[in-house]
Amino acid sequence: MTKREEKDMLDLLEIDEVEQLFEDIPEEVRVELDMPEGLTEMELMSKVKDKLKKNHIESSSFLGAGIYEHFIPSAVQEIIGKSEFYTSYTPYQAEISQGMLRALFEYQSLIAELTGLGAVNTSMYDHSTALAEAVLMSTRINRKGDTFLMPKNTHWDHDPILKNYLRGKDIDMKLVDHDDKGQIDIEDLKEKIGDDTIGFYVGSPNIFGILEEEVDTFKDLREDNGCVMVVGTNPLILSLMKPPGEWGADIVVGDSQPLGIPMAYGGPSVGMFSCRKKHIRRMPGRIIGETEDSQGKRAYCMTLQTREQHIRRERATSNICTNQALMALASAVFTFIQGSTGLERLAKENYEKAHDVARRINELEGFEAPYFKSEFFNEFTVKTPMDSDSLYGECQKRDVLPGVPLDKKEKFSSLPSSMLTAVTETKTEKEIEKLIVALKEVVA
Amino acid sequence: MNTDYRQARYKMDLLMERGEGRMLKDNPLPEGIARKKAPDIPDLPKHEVVRYFNRLSQMNYGIDTGFYPLGSCTMKYNPKYTEKLASLPEATDIHPYHPEEFSQGNLEIMWELQNSLAELGGMHSVSLQPAAGAHGEITGLMIAHQYHKDNNEERNEIILPDTAHGTNPASVSMLDYNLLEIPSKEGCVDLDALEEAAGDNTAVFMITNPNTLGLFEKDACQMAEIVHDAGGLLYYDGANLNAIMGKTTPGAMDFDIMHFNLHKTFGTPHGGGGPGSGPVGVTEELASYLPVPIVEKKGDGYRLNYDLENTIGRVKGFYGNWLVLLKAYGYILKEGKDGLERATERAVLNSNYLREKLQGVLDLPYKPLRKHEFVLSGKRLKDKGLKTKDLAKRLLDYGYHAPTIYFPLLVDEALMIEPTETESKDTLDGFAEAFASIMDEDEETIKEAPKNTAVGRVDETKAIRDSVLSYMMRD
Repeated sequence: MTKREEKDMLDLLEIDEVEQLFEDIPEEVRVELDMPEGLTEMELMSKVKDKLKKNHIESSSFLGAGIYEHFIPSAVQEIIGKSEFYTSYTPYQAEISQGMLRALFEYQSLIAELTGLGAVNTSMYDHSTALAEAVLMSTRINRKGDTFLMPKNTHWDHDPILKNYLRGKDIDMKLVDHDDKGQIDIEDLKEKIGDDTIGFYVGSPNIFGILEEEVDTFKDLREDNGCVMVVGTNPLILSLMKPPGEWGADIVVGDSQPLGIPMAYGGPSVGMFSCRKKHIRRMPGRIIGETEDSQGKRAYCMTLQTREQHIRRERATSNICTNQALMALASAVFTFIQGSTGLERLAKENYEKAHDVARRINELEGFEAPYFKSEFFNEFTVKTPMDSDSLYGECQKRDVLPGVPLDKKEKFSSLPSSMLTAVTETKTEKEIEKLIVALKEVVA
Repeated sequence: MNTDYRQARYKMDLLMERGEGRMLKDNPLPEGIARKKAPDIPDLPKHEVVRYFNRLSQMNYGIDTGFYPLGSCTMKYNPKYTEKLASLPEATDIHPYHPEEFSQGNLEIMWELQNSLAELGGMHSVSLQPAAGAHGEITGLMIAHQYHKDNNEERNEIILPDTAHGTNPASVSMLDYNLLEIPSKEGCVDLDALEEAAGDNTAVFMITNPNTLGLFEKDACQMAEIVHDAGGLLYYDGANLNAIMGKTTPGAMDFDIMHFNLHKTFGTPHGGGGPGSGPVGVTEELASYLPVPIVEKKGDGYRLNYDLENTIGRVKGFYGNWLVLLKAYGYILKEGKDGLERATERAVLNSNYLREKLQGVLDLPYKPLRKHEFVLSGKRLKDKGLKTKDLAKRLLDYGYHAPTIYFPLLVDEALMIEPTETESKDTLDGFAEAFASIMDEDEETIKEAPKNTAVGRVDETKAIRDSVLSYMMRD
């Protein structure tokens, strides 16, 4: 702003200096910031780049456990980098925001197609928070119970987050064991489910990378007990796996990160959220609906807003406002670029590569892979012949990150020394060989 | 007046309409859980997908298109260098369980950001985990909940002024607290009403300052005294921090817990709805309650600390929206002390200038001096059989995004306008002229607006009635 401009503005306000506009802030609360002065863009770029260079990202990584390394076609970044998209906000004014509205409707449609449940919102923060919101929604669907059943074979972040979201409520979170194949222990589930059950969760793939096979039993248990079934999944496997909507799920959650979103140290990703049509008024989050404009032309807008905080305030279904919309757009672009055929090919490639690597690790002296003998997708458990942390540390020295040590997580401390290894399409033969050699050397 | 703005209009089918169902072959999964039919997603040439979304972008309006005075949302210009930083492979291609030794760059940046935010908020410690403002709010309330519980106190009420953002009461209900809403006096918190409301049941008093009318709550310290005397905690909703940077801090005003909206105050893009980031700051007394992990410095290096004595645990997977954190970090470093203070000054000057220009055109309730935003009442439109919504739609034809409308609730036919610091006097003058010009137009033109956007007035009632929420739900 030029001095002249500023003077004209101050003149209109009949004041001499900007400081007069802050006269309403009392002297006793005034502060002086203790911060450095600003930088030029050139200085900034070099400073931040130097810091980021302290990251070492060249290792051969087989880390997963909720965030996966997949190849992202360049077109995805190109589209979400369009500033008409990324510099807009929640489409409150539908007429001038049709681009984002329609893109998000496409996203909702894709997720519906994958999960088999028609009603989808534009995103929650991530898998864990989507799950917590799904449990809260379950209490709105089923008002009779006071217990939610969480299987033990889920991500270690889910439990503390859910506990926090259940603060102030008289709801008990009960753990259901897994069997020796790593799947939900059906007998334990049957024992714990009953009249007081609000609902139960099924993760498939679960934290061990395993696909739960007793889907018909889950369906029956849900019906027999009149409770809510929440399923958590990876959208990529849904191109091969029977959609949870077909085996009784009321709500499906997960993370769309595998669909076109970088690992980015765990965020931003996309909390995926879909449910049965009959539950739409109990859903959290922004939802885009199809409609027409005044001329009868097809148009889109945010809908069912009376569920939301900006209209319904304390009676809203959730407090969520800002979500992860741009990342939902990334997932939509990624999925359309793959198409049905590409998605299937990608899922199969992940499946086959992971199974191949598991076989090769299993052949190594002292290793057992998978440790849990069940069908898995692109991630599996490995029993290690030495302490999992030490193994990890030794591999790290060889620039290989072999998998997340599993028995070091409190909830899995009763497992033998083990790790969780993920293999996606990005792993080259050279990297896989490097992993095998490292494991061999470390235990030798 | 200039109504030359024209948004692109493409008549296109949904991509989802072009799918052709097919059966899945050679499915490696066991029969019982194998999909039989492939998902009905079209197989299209890549360039057609790119072209489709490119056309959609032309049917969308962002800050880079024009003025976006959406009150409460702080739609300032999003600098491009932050996008560049967030696209570097060192920032994107790193797994959350990447070893600490190999993630020192990330950890150092997060540690410095924690410190900068603590300084800007006058807080002792900061957690970067919450993903958005509302997420920060509920995190703050979880901290308060745990704090009172540890002190063996059963405090079940949260007090809010009637000017509060909708997320505040919604956060209160999510944790099953009782909500006590107190009426405002001349647009600000009524100290007598607060005094009356505060008591043994008060867990938290939540406000934003300046409030949603854009008025600075100059009695903030007295409020803190009342609430603290009653044994409650004070929560600062950071949505309006852009109005006070370098002038005062929530800490200086005796708040105990606050959140920051990095996507508002620190220039990170709003992404069509997100991702944002809502870090939470607390006083020294509450520092051990923050979610884990937080980043700490140890010797020459940085590490994730999971070991906080009274931690509430977690509120989100991993460490927050890292790429948003990185962008805000870049913004704060680039602006520095001088730039951030100037941003606040200019935001407040712009707001008051535009308020002065518009207050004759529509009504301005409450006294004039505003901080970063102001609220007009469109009640005089009713004489012409019009509503605030009609005016908002007509503004779109002039190439402006509409202000926030029908909020705050205590103003009849409200329009909430936040110009931000990045707009020039010319832009503000143009916007004021458009406003005045619309007021001279005939009712029909306004009621039939918008005409220059990708579609005409959207039928929201039909959307609710039909509830078509995905292509699958069309029939």
